[in-house]
Amino acid sequence: MILTEESVKAIKEKVKLYPQRKSAILPALTIAYRQVGHLSDEIYQEISRATRIPYVEIAEAATFYTMFPKAPRGKYLIQVCHNISCALLGADSLIGYLEEKLGIKKGETTPDNLFTLISVECLGSCATAPMMQINNDFYENLTRAKVDEILEELKAKA
Amino acid sequence: MATETKKDTRTAQQAPTVTLTIDGQEVTVPKGTTVLEAALGMGIHVPTFCWHPKLKSVGACRMCYVEIEKMPKLAVSCATEAMDGMVVHTDSDLVKRGRKAVIEFILANHPLDCPTCDKGGECDLQDLTFKHGFDDSRYDFLKMRFTEGAVHTTFDDVRIGPEIILNRNRCILCYKCVRANKEAFGEYDLGAFERGNITEINAAPGREVSNPFSGNLVEICPVGALTNTDWRYKIRVWLTKQARSICPFTSSGTNTLLWKEDHQQKIFRCTSRRNDDIDDGWIADVTRYGWSYVMAEDRLQTPLVKKEGKQVPVSWEEAIDLVARRLTEIDDTKGNVCIGGLINPQLDNESLHAFNKFMRVTIGANNVDHRLDYPMLPAQGDTAYSILSSQPFSIADIDTSDVIVSFGSDMLKEHPNEYLRMRKAYMFRQAKVFTINPYAVKNADIASVDVVYAPGTDEIVVNAICLAAIEEKLVDAGRAAGLKDKIVPNSAAEAAETAGVELDDIKIIARSLADGKQVTFLVGELVARCAEREPIAAAIANLNRLFGLTDKGQVARLARYANSKGAEKLGLTPFPAPEVKAKLERIFGGWPENEALTTDKMLVQMNKEAINAGLVVGANPLLLYPDREFARECLERLDFLVVCDSFETETTAIADVVLPLASWAEYAGDYVNLEGRTQHAEAAIKPRFHSRPALEIIEQLARAMDKPLFESADERRREVAEVLAAQAVLPWPNDYFEVSFDNAAADSEYTIPVFVGDDPHHAGHLTEKSPSLSNFVSEAYVEMSIELAAKLDVKAGDSVRVESEAGKVIVPVKVSDYLDTDAVFLPRNFSSAQVNSLLMRKKRVNRVKITRVAD
Repeated sequence: MILTEESVKAIKEKVKLYPQRKSAILPALTIAYRQVGHLSDEIYQEISRATRIPYVEIAEAATFYTMFPKAPRGKYLIQVCHNISCALLGADSLIGYLEEKLGIKKGETTPDNLFTLISVECLGSCATAPMMQINNDFYENLTRAKVDEILEELKAKA
Repeated sequence: MATETKKDTRTAQQAPTVTLTIDGQEVTVPKGTTVLEAALGMGIHVPTFCWHPKLKSVGACRMCYVEIEKMPKLAVSCATEAMDGMVVHTDSDLVKRGRKAVIEFILANHPLDCPTCDKGGECDLQDLTFKHGFDDSRYDFLKMRFTEGAVHTTFDDVRIGPEIILNRNRCILCYKCVRANKEAFGEYDLGAFERGNITEINAAPGREVSNPFSGNLVEICPVGALTNTDWRYKIRVWLTKQARSICPFTSSGTNTLLWKEDHQQKIFRCTSRRNDDIDDGWIADVTRYGWSYVMAEDRLQTPLVKKEGKQVPVSWEEAIDLVARRLTEIDDTKGNVCIGGLINPQLDNESLHAFNKFMRVTIGANNVDHRLDYPMLPAQGDTAYSILSSQPFSIADIDTSDVIVSFGSDMLKEHPNEYLRMRKAYMFRQAKVFTINPYAVKNADIASVDVVYAPGTDEIVVNAICLAAIEEKLVDAGRAAGLKDKIVPNSAAEAAETAGVELDDIKIIARSLADGKQVTFLVGELVARCAEREPIAAAIANLNRLFGLTDKGQVARLARYANSKGAEKLGLTPFPAPEVKAKLERIFGGWPENEALTTDKMLVQMNKEAINAGLVVGANPLLLYPDREFARECLERLDFLVVCDSFETETTAIADVVLPLASWAEYAGDYVNLEGRTQHAEAAIKPRFHSRPALEIIEQLARAMDKPLFESADERRREVAEVLAAQAVLPWPNDYFEVSFDNAAADSEYTIPVFVGDDPHHAGHLTEKSPSLSNFVSEAYVEMSIELAAKLDVKAGDSVRVESEAGKVIVPVKVSDYLDTDAVFLPRNFSSAQVNSLLMRKKRVNRVKITRVAD
């Protein structure tokens, strides 16, 4: 079992909230994601067993939603905006700099499992472009120096 | 397609209707009909990809655009309900432009690899593009292409199941396969994953698409995304012809087409031929892939005769002469009762009738039976079981029933077509479904209540329902009068306890049976094959009488094989129904005097050497009779055994003469399905090698004995028609049956109840010769619950020894999550396993012990 007893219990509670079992798929996936940090086929199976929703329907929903990671991620998820405002202000070179600095490619995780780097669509902070989101926090008006500082700070914290 | 919503005047009068105008013609349709269905019903062509007459509409493909006046945009006709006063145009310029745009959109990422695609020639996308699309493309950038997980060929194919190849690049995402799988079949091994450009249909992660209806997914695919391995790249579709055939493996007689090529005399595939009264256009995989045994190279090629202990090939003349001479000899020296005849109820009407006439006139013995795999058959004709078995049944009536009970029936394995009907009634009409079985079965997921009772307490469960109804006053007291004294135990609570079921569940079923407006009560093989079937049938007869079920629906034991009902109606049993017997007596000019013998009795007589010769046509009793050791002993004692079959089997191995039998696809014949409906199957090819149809063999044999059976083919057909016209339904009695019960204790050492039946992908003894079906399942297994596997400390794939008092087999474990008691299931279809050696014919519940085989 990957899911803890606590998670399974919480998932089972969610099933009771809806007239249709299937409605509990997203809340269940969210609970699993919060516990594990990512989703996987085994997790879908465990959710299926707990909710009696067919396995394939859980897998379908999970793959539809791109914000559920399907593989383990680093402790810090760096999401760099690559849409128009950020792009005009150098998001591309910023991503290149991060790749160089972390020694990984976009979409990869550092060997110490600390950082995962991805680029994302607009995060709604065009006024402070270029920007990125690390876990739940925004980092705005980025420069290379600022990125160095942020990474050092996170490394120190970890 | 067009027949789907043909206006039914009967329902039109009752149900509210709407009137609309389509392409200038006014039409009235029942309220709730979609614009698309209304148009198709008028014979107007509206192109579609994602719409299927038996599935809910989703409007995924947008191909069915029509223009409806006063609507601002084109409307998707499959998802637009017809309304009063609508004015619809299906062929205006706007509609044509809309269709062109849809085709262009669908083709955006389609590889256009028609020359190498196996669907070419029967592809909806190809046809509709020619008809409605552009002849040029505006797209000049690279197309999205799936390669992940694909075999890296030009075709980017992925195998997603034993018989299914997926090509995601050709897929147009109509979702028909995923919807059919979930809505119609209740299977969850196929899904649609990811989103947008990279949405893909695929097997559930880590699984394969191997459900017993998976072949239908290929058939309904409108493009070349799903193709099946038995057909692809063997021949182009336009080079084939089709023979209209009938499924020889299930009793529904689902309609099929056999795709063949005359010059090579080859069959290439089998597809459905939709008949809404029977099959809704869905056919089980056993039907779809089973045909390939016909083309197997190891079929019996010539007659074999045992000479000096070895079977050697001989000519037909020699074989027929020998059989005729030996049968005459035995008949003359030992009397006519000395010959017994068993025939497979998968053969056509005329073969069955000829066999009956041969046994009862030419030989003059009453020893005829078609029920080869049923132990301890009743030794008289007027039993509760005979009455139950003779009851009429209609497949289409399942659709309209509001309460459906399946009792003692593993529907998926025995009656796949009726299983789908039951699912349909549940999915589309919210029918209440109840399953009552000695082990948990697959359709339990749609059951309001799924009762799993202790094996061997079948009649007690039925009695419990009756008692609950009386106690709760759900039925008229006058009707119930007298029942309580005739059955055991005294109260529903006691009965429920004996059977190991919840009293509340029993009460719910009793209430539904009492309240149901139209009830379908189906009885299956777990009752029919039970050594003590009589008390169960009597209890069901009581239940029927108590609730008046026949008056508001149907109660029937479902016939099991393609022509079981035909064999019954043609009198191929020791005790035909009275009217059938009267007809036969007249045709035969008399009736044999000896005591009529069932399969069991014949075997017993063989054992006593009171029957010295045996004639087995198209059957393999050694594999299927539920007591292998007994059957072997009896058949080996015969002086002379003739077996007709298409393959060498364990039964042909002990025969003195083996005659190669043509398969159903090699001659035309009529078959009676479980409803009593006679259907014709055309011949697809000529008999292969030197095989001959059963009818021909029997007629030749009779001629060689100087007693020809029929003067002409016309006479033969007339006789068959006459017997089939006789009333074979036996009336229910006017009183309750007594039902007593003797609770036999389980053996100490053998504790696990064992059930033997057909694998969902197999039926009888021929399907293991089909390479396609063997791709699904090719060996026997022992299917058990997760809990039992844990208790025995075994896991899926482990070899175990399954041992009963009678014998033992070594098979791998299969763990199934829907099983929830200790009962285990073994498929009987595989010669290599000899599963029937575990069974003893007199035992009501066979029990086994299971131990792991050391590695």
